[in-house]
Amino acid sequence: MIRKELVAASAEPLILSLLARGESYGYAIIQEVKARSDGKLQWTDGMLYPVLHRMEHRGLIKARWGESETGRKRKYYSLKKDGKAAMAKHHEQWSLVHSVLAGLRKEQYV
Amino acid sequence: MFDLEKAIAEWRRQMLAAGIKTPVPLEELESHLREELERQMQSGLGIEQAFETATRKIGQARALKSEFEKNDVSIGARFVELTGIAWGVIAGVFSLWTLLLLFTFQEANWFGRMLGLVAIALTVSSWRYGYRVLPVIRHQHVRTVIGFACCAASIVWMGTFVKLILPSLVVLPMKVDTSPTRLMVSFIWAWTVAATLASTAHGLKKVVSRQDQPAIS
Repeated sequence: MIRKELVAASAEPLILSLLARGESYGYAIIQEVKARSDGKLQWTDGMLYPVLHRMEHRGLIKARWGESETGRKRKYYSLKKDGKAAMAKHHEQWSLVHSVLAGLRKEQYV
Repeated sequence: MFDLEKAIAEWRRQMLAAGIKTPVPLEELESHLREELERQMQSGLGIEQAFETATRKIGQARALKSEFEKNDVSIGARFVELTGIAWGVIAGVFSLWTLLLLFTFQEANWFGRMLGLVAIALTVSSWRYGYRVLPVIRHQHVRTVIGFACCAASIVWMGTFVKLILPSLVVLPMKVDTSPTRLMVSFIWAWTVAATLASTAHGLKKVVSRQDQPAIS
C-alpha cells in the first residue's frame, strides 16, 4: 500500500489528469484510479467528494447534474481553464521529483 | 427480510445526524452508494452484505463531515471576502478613471503619468500575486478578523484621505504643490493603498486553499 501522505498529495493531480480526458463522476474516478494502480492507490470512497467540492470552489473544475444510463442522478465534473494550468504545474513538479529520484537510483547501480 | 430502501434511509439519517448537509453532498454520496451496491451485487454478494461493504467503503460520517467542513465558509468570512472584493472593484474603477483623466489632461507631465501607471500596476499585482507573501493562517475565524481589520482600515484610510488630506491639498496652495497632476496622482496612490489593504482579505483565503492537502485515504 502507498503511504497516506503520498496518496493525499497525489489526489489532485490524478483527478485533474483524469478529467483532462473528459468529464467524469466520483464513482468512475475512484474505479479508474484503482484500476490504473492495480488497487495500490486506495481512497476512502466518500473522501473524494470533499476534495472534488474544494477543487470546484477553487475554480479548477466545474460540475453539472446529469443522469446515468439507468436514469440515476449523477454529478459530472469537468476541467476548467485554471484546472488545466494547475495540472500542467503538477506534471512539471512530479516529473522533477521523479527525475531526481530516478537519477539517484541510477547512481546507486553504477 | 433485509429492506434495502429502509437501510439506505437509515444510512442517510446517520449522515444527516453527523452533520452532512443536504442536498448536494448527501445526494452525491447516495448516488455513489447505489453504484457501489450494484457493483457488489453483480460480483455475487447478497444484498445485505453488499450494503455493508458499500457503506464501509464510503467511510464514517464523522470523518466525512470533518472533511466537508473544511469547505464551509462562515457568513462572517463571506461578508469580509465580498467587502474586500467590492472595495477592490471601487478602488480599481476610481483609479482607472483618474488615470484616464491624467492621460487626457494635456498639462500633465510624463513623470506624473508614469507614477499613476505604477500605482495601478501595484494594485493589480497585490490582487494577483499578493497572497504569495501572506502567512498561512488555517483558522478561519482568525483570517476573518484580520480580513475585517484590513477592510476597515482601508475604508478608514480613504475616509481620512478624502476628508482631511485632499481638502488640505486644495486649500493650502502656498504650502503644497496643488497642480492637478499632483492631485490626480495622489488620489490614485491613495486608492492603491486602500486596494492593497482590501486584497489581504482575499489573499489570506487564497494562500490557505492553495496549500491545503486533502485527507483522502
